[in-house]
Amino acid sequence: MNEDLKKTLLNPIFKGNPITVLVLGICSSLAVTVQLKGALVMALSVIIVTGLSSLVVSLLRNSIPNRVRIIVQLVVVAMMVILVDQVLKAYAYAIDKQLSVYIGLIITNCIVMGRIEAFALGNKPIPSLLDGLANGAGYGMILVIVAFFRELLGSGTLLGFRVLPESYVPNNLVILPPMALILLGCIVWVQRAVQKDLQEK
Amino acid sequence: MEYISLFVKSIFVDNMIFAYFLGMCSYLAVSKNVKTANGLGIAVIFVLLCTLPLNYLLNKFVLQPGALAWLGDSFKDVDLSFLSFILFIAVIAAFVQIVEMVVEKFLPALYSSLGIFLPLIAVNCAILGGSLFMQQREFLNVGEAATYALGSGIGWWLAIVALAAIREKMAYSKVPAPLKGLGITFMVVGLMGMAFMTFMGISL
Amino acid sequence: MNTNSNVYTIVYTTIIVVVAAAILAIAAMALKPKQDANIKAETISQMLAAAGFSSKEDLAKLGNDQVLKMYSDNVKTAFLIDAKGDKIGELETEAGNIELQDNLKQENKNIAAGNPQLPVYVFTKDGSEINVIPIYGAGLWGPIWGYIAFNASCTEIVGAYFDHESETPGLGAKIKDEAWFREQFKGQTVNFSKPDDSFNIVKGGAPKDDKSAVDAITGATMTCNGLDAALDTWFKAYMPFLQKKAGAEGVDEDCCGGDCCGGDCEGGHQHEHNHNHQEG
Repeated sequence: MNEDLKKTLLNPIFKGNPITVLVLGICSSLAVTVQLKGALVMALSVIIVTGLSSLVVSLLRNSIPNRVRIIVQLVVVAMMVILVDQVLKAYAYAIDKQLSVYIGLIITNCIVMGRIEAFALGNKPIPSLLDGLANGAGYGMILVIVAFFRELLGSGTLLGFRVLPESYVPNNLVILPPMALILLGCIVWVQRAVQKDLQEK
Repeated sequence: MEYISLFVKSIFVDNMIFAYFLGMCSYLAVSKNVKTANGLGIAVIFVLLCTLPLNYLLNKFVLQPGALAWLGDSFKDVDLSFLSFILFIAVIAAFVQIVEMVVEKFLPALYSSLGIFLPLIAVNCAILGGSLFMQQREFLNVGEAATYALGSGIGWWLAIVALAAIREKMAYSKVPAPLKGLGITFMVVGLMGMAFMTFMGISL
Repeated sequence: MNTNSNVYTIVYTTIIVVVAAAILAIAAMALKPKQDANIKAETISQMLAAAGFSSKEDLAKLGNDQVLKMYSDNVKTAFLIDAKGDKIGELETEAGNIELQDNLKQENKNIAAGNPQLPVYVFTKDGSEINVIPIYGAGLWGPIWGYIAFNASCTEIVGAYFDHESETPGLGAKIKDEAWFREQFKGQTVNFSKPDDSFNIVKGGAPKDDKSAVDAITGATMTCNGLDAALDTWFKAYMPFLQKKAGAEGVDEDCCGGDCCGGDCEGGHQHEHNHNHQEG
């Protein structure tokens, strides 16, 4: 694989992670991290939406009139999101119910629009697709880490299977929304302790 | 009574930020000082208050299953609800664009203080989130939808101004280097969220 | 080409929107049958869970077809009743074309208007009949609904299942998530002597001797009040039917009524509930 593509693919997952470094896309999704299963589906949905939207916008990039750029982008993203939502409703109904409005909110997930503006508008389709997929993956990774701890500590289960012994009393605090942010803070803490160059002055 | 109850509930109990994490991107990015935070907060209230009732009408007369009945009996069974995301976001984007142009032309003073925030708002999840929650919660009339919009907007404004005030003070405190900036902000928001959860016990 | 001219901009936007709408319409139409099947299976598994055939979690693991088959195998009959409790129509129960009266939102309006068509699903379990009826109402944020299963004479609740659209996770959502909440409905009865307030969900714990009350969920007052109101409304609508059933089986209604309501405290609750209805 050539170096540029490799960088496009790996950078968003660690060093340029959309959530912990670029602070994009926290909006819609911390509420779906109570259970690992929901987080995995959400992560997958975001990966698909970012990837495909970047690809389509990149294909259209030379023809989009500048004045209605944002609206055209939103239409493309919204279309992808609706497709994902419809497919989930048909094939994963229980999960779609659990994710409720948050699937729709992928539209305004800053990662999607952010990558389209920053990358897809100025690059060829294939790198754009990879950039979208990789950013979705970087985002999904954080989501899954948070969900892992929240389900483990909050319910004593993982993907619905009991992992901790029955004697473990589930910590209800972890299930409540604010804990997701505190866990996220801890993840940022660990990451910046390892990668010192990311620390803020 | 119901309006007051709904209003207070949407500000405190179901706060857009602390209960649903909506509008987080701009919330974290623009909360470094109180003045800009205030500007963005007011812009959010305004846009929410205008787009949510609009989307309510759109939902009621176009999107809901059976909503097109007013066009005649043959449209009774049409269900356009799959188009709701796209139409809601189109209304919001178009509205923001129009407001930006109008404000720029007629109220230059307001534009210079609010203008920079308007483009940010089209992609603020709190706005679209408000419309999606509105659709899910089946408000009875435009009044309820508008009350909910106003309450949610004020809740968002309150949250961002409060965070900005804390961050201004925090600039003087000693925070471990890796936690500085983003990390500690996440935690502060988490703790604020916990404080707001106490409002849930209130029965209105 | 000048991509900034007005004509180009308008034509371009139109084409994009039309293409997007066309793709979405095709996808929506293609997936609609599958989505409807999911909704049907979901409704049926809520009924089966209420009637105690299986837990909701186990039913979710079965495929849609299995759930429908389980329904057809165990259901004896399903029919519609009017406001007087008289049968006015049958619902098909054969696998393959199961009919449900699942537009509860519409029926809720019809109850208020006085012309409901209420469904009763009669299952056979271990040789005896179980009557399952739906309830529907408003929670804190969105609709809440559920299914209540009665014994053959409709004098005792044998199971319940609740669901909601958007109650707060960890609080109001517990009406669905917490098994203890629905378990406590088992063995309770509908208070026939108080048709307007025939069941209570009591904040701070239901009196032990009150057979028509269960404990509310801490922190979910609004949701519980909504559920209480929904139960009262729908039980009232079904009251003629329930009473006929109970009468036919030779149970003395007055006796039950006397046992059920826990004396003076009941009046206090009623006041509180009525008060809360207005805001819920």
